[in-house]
Amino acid sequence: MKNSKLFVFVVLLLVASFGLGACAPAATAEPAAEAPAAEAPAAEAPAVEEPAVVAEPVTIKYWHTMSDAEAAKLEEVIASFEAANPGISVESTRYAYSDFKTALLTSIAGGDVPDTARMDIAWVSEFASQGALMQLDGAMADFDAIAASVFPGPLSTNKWDGHYYGLPQNTNTQVLVYNKDMFDAAGITAAPATMEEFAKVACDLTDASKGVYGFAEGGTYFWAPAPVFYAMGGKVTDAEITTATGYVNSAESVAAFTLLKDLYDQGCMSPNLMGGGIATDAGQGTGIYGMIIDGPWMVDIYKGNYPELNYEFALIPAGPNGTSSVVGGEDVVILGGTKNAEAAQKWVSYLMSKDAQVALAQVGVMPTISSLTGDASMPAYFAIFMEQLKTAQARVPSPKWSDMDNAINNAYQRILVGEQDPQAALDQAASEIDALLAQ
Amino acid sequence: MMSRSPHAPRAKYQFVSALLFLLPGFLLLFVFFLGPLVYSFRISFFDWNFAHPERSVFVGFENYLGQINNPIFHRAVINTAVYTFFTVVAKLVLGFFAAIVLNQKIPARSFFRVAYYLPVITSWVIVSLLFMYMFSGMGGLVNYLLKDVFHLINKNIIWLADPILALVPVILVDIWKGVGWVAVIFLSGLQTISKELLEAAEMDGATPWQRLTRITLPLLRGTTVFLVVVLILGGLNSYVPFQLITHGNPMDKTHSILTLMYRATFSRMDFGNGAAISYLLTLFVFALSVVQLKMLNKPIGE
Amino acid sequence: MRKANHLRNFASILILLVGLGVVAIPIWYMVSTAFKPQTMVFEMPPQLWPNPATINNFIKAVTTDHFLLYFWNSVKVSITATLLTLTVSSMLAFAFARLTFPWKEQLFYVLLLGMMVPPVMLIIPQFIVSQKLGLYNNLTGLILVYATMNISMQTFLLRGVFENVPRELEEAAMIDGASPFVIFVQIILPLSGPGLAVVVINSFLYSWEEFTWANVNIADSANRTLPIGIALFQSEHLTEWGQVFSASLIALVPVIILFLVFQRYFVEGISTTGIKG
Repeated sequence: MKNSKLFVFVVLLLVASFGLGACAPAATAEPAAEAPAAEAPAAEAPAVEEPAVVAEPVTIKYWHTMSDAEAAKLEEVIASFEAANPGISVESTRYAYSDFKTALLTSIAGGDVPDTARMDIAWVSEFASQGALMQLDGAMADFDAIAASVFPGPLSTNKWDGHYYGLPQNTNTQVLVYNKDMFDAAGITAAPATMEEFAKVACDLTDASKGVYGFAEGGTYFWAPAPVFYAMGGKVTDAEITTATGYVNSAESVAAFTLLKDLYDQGCMSPNLMGGGIATDAGQGTGIYGMIIDGPWMVDIYKGNYPELNYEFALIPAGPNGTSSVVGGEDVVILGGTKNAEAAQKWVSYLMSKDAQVALAQVGVMPTISSLTGDASMPAYFAIFMEQLKTAQARVPSPKWSDMDNAINNAYQRILVGEQDPQAALDQAASEIDALLAQ
Repeated sequence: MMSRSPHAPRAKYQFVSALLFLLPGFLLLFVFFLGPLVYSFRISFFDWNFAHPERSVFVGFENYLGQINNPIFHRAVINTAVYTFFTVVAKLVLGFFAAIVLNQKIPARSFFRVAYYLPVITSWVIVSLLFMYMFSGMGGLVNYLLKDVFHLINKNIIWLADPILALVPVILVDIWKGVGWVAVIFLSGLQTISKELLEAAEMDGATPWQRLTRITLPLLRGTTVFLVVVLILGGLNSYVPFQLITHGNPMDKTHSILTLMYRATFSRMDFGNGAAISYLLTLFVFALSVVQLKMLNKPIGE
Repeated sequence: MRKANHLRNFASILILLVGLGVVAIPIWYMVSTAFKPQTMVFEMPPQLWPNPATINNFIKAVTTDHFLLYFWNSVKVSITATLLTLTVSSMLAFAFARLTFPWKEQLFYVLLLGMMVPPVMLIIPQFIVSQKLGLYNNLTGLILVYATMNISMQTFLLRGVFENVPRELEEAAMIDGASPFVIFVQIILPLSGPGLAVVVINSFLYSWEEFTWANVNIADSANRTLPIGIALFQSEHLTEWGQVFSASLIALVPVIILFLVFQRYFVEGISTTGIKG
């Protein structure tokens, strides 16, 4: 008796709540579905809109993960955009990188999105495949002009299923960063030019008794070993992204991870990459790590925390086919659920303009506009990164990338702890990635 | 337990008052808890498109079966169970003895009580980061103590590189943070035990051990049941220390059920799978609780 | 007898001191790191008394971003959420402890469900609700959800407290025609002080350190709470342990103050919740 009453109650509750739950998605769908339609009035509006703009100002929301210095510079960029576009104001919000995806996803699922966002280049296809982003080619009047002005590599990260869902706001890559004083002390006069030299220098700099390591990586996620992986001729998939077998487990890919595994076993690479060690910047800053591989933001970090550190940049040591590295950076996107598509496009155009790109370059954000290469307004240290970008490769532009990254990450960890040899570990990663691609 | 009111004619009046007393609470629960609970139940049966829910595809039990056949999920279940077992047992034993000692008339008793409670009020994020720092494989305090002070090891242990050792800081941080709370709950239980009873037993020649096992422990049954229930619930729902300290590494072997759920939802954008994982956990917790709730409910209201 | 007592006291204090060491070492390690310049953070052997000590980490923590604003937001949210939880939970607990109504037991089980469900799984639907009700991006949205997530446990505790209040008092009042509301406010609540103190500490702690919901429901930096501020700070200064710990220590201050204020009711309060033999 008591139980049946409880049962009836629970069923009633479920039914009632289902009603509440069921109406939610339908309602949420509205703003998202409206998005393409919103473009139509926007297209016919301009002639009438100009005077009306002042009467009803719009606010464009822009989410990002910039650093303190970058965010401060961004406010200047926003101010000059607002001065040039009366009636449009931009509200920027900064997130911690690790929590950014959660915030974006929830806002999209809840149907209340920021109009624009700057996201990791590896995320765009993932978000686009779910229909969360606005297609820019064909919708944005100056899309073709902007697309022609930027480097093709970063631009390609915005492509999904034949269309573009973002524009490359900034780019970066990783190069070799070495402690000059440690090189001098060891009598090494130049940065290693090849991978053989690199391995030798890493061990020459190592001093186990003092806990000093010649080389350190930040972790086992793909971004960390990627420069060595690509320079050694490694590939994750074929160009058409149909298979990983024969690529991620090719002789070149295996050689790359064998090199790293050997350095790790010889104690020439810090064990911190398995977690819980001294981070690469802290280690290099305090003279524990001789070489690390990292990006242009190190200039700012070292200036702030280790002003005395004597360090230099060099290209990633060459593998069999020369140097290479990994392309990083962020793309600016317009969210599909925006109600201010036209103003959002203006803001995106402005972010892609020379003015905005030059301004942000002053705090170490590398521009994507190709004509700015070597420009006098660029910080001097950009040169080496620009040089490295010529050979740097993009990660696989696939919505399944985070799973692929995880498969390679796990393979790397199995190699390091000695659970599998590099060939076996990468064979397993290849079959895992193939399974993802088959879905 | 539902004792009838002695004033039967007032039943209707009571019903109206009850409604008023219940309304604010259940309104909040309905809007922010039960509704969302059912909504995510629905999601768990779909290949959910978070941007366009109307495009979601119904997949039946596929999300659930996918997890049940997933070795990473199995490992997460084992980790969660191991974590729950060790932390609950350690906190109960240590907390109990701390309470016994703190219940005596000793100098600076308040000071000790406050000091023992300090870890409890420190946030999970902070203590997790703190333990990660202490268990650093290179410059950490723990390796320093083991190697250079006590000479128990001759080489630094890279705690987080090993799927088993990585759980050590995760478990220890929970014990460290939780003992104070358990001690306070036991302490409040101990204070309801009459001093006369214990003194009488002492007069009759009962040893301290006999007084502990024959009087104190049986009288603390309700407290212990409450603690076991709440601690197990907390252990199974553990998220922050796993997420911050191990992040599932190495080789996805150190996830808890909830870190896996969080990753499925917010990193892989697979809401259906994430919801399925949470419902598998809730189902398990619920089954466990049906038994526990009966025990929990008993000492109260009778 | 006396001697034995002394001996026992001595042993007890010894045990407590050992325990204190275990509790204190990590905390001291955190405090000393907060006063270390970055170059000393990984020095071996670890210096328990940093020399040279610096307060730069604290200055940097307070001046970075809008740390003080986040702090103030957290104070507002935590206090309001605590008061709301206290009101709503004590009303619920009173109904379950003293009033008769249909489906009482079933409703109580529904309430207890709130103790079993992992809060993270509710985030997305909660966001949709919040957005529909205009609670997105404001502190009210945080307050209502924090209160909801706290209700179950706190009502459960308070029901125990209220049931331990002797019935004789209110029966006399009822004969005089007092309404349940009067009994609740004038008899039950004043006699349950320590129990309410427990609820205050629990709810405040929860609201003070909650991160996941705050991260998704707040987009405007002017409305952020302290855990978000600390997370931002961490992501920017991840390996700068001195700064991360100094920010964390500042966040700890209000909680310690609150606990010191209420701690003398605390043990007594829990013993009135009915969690007993």
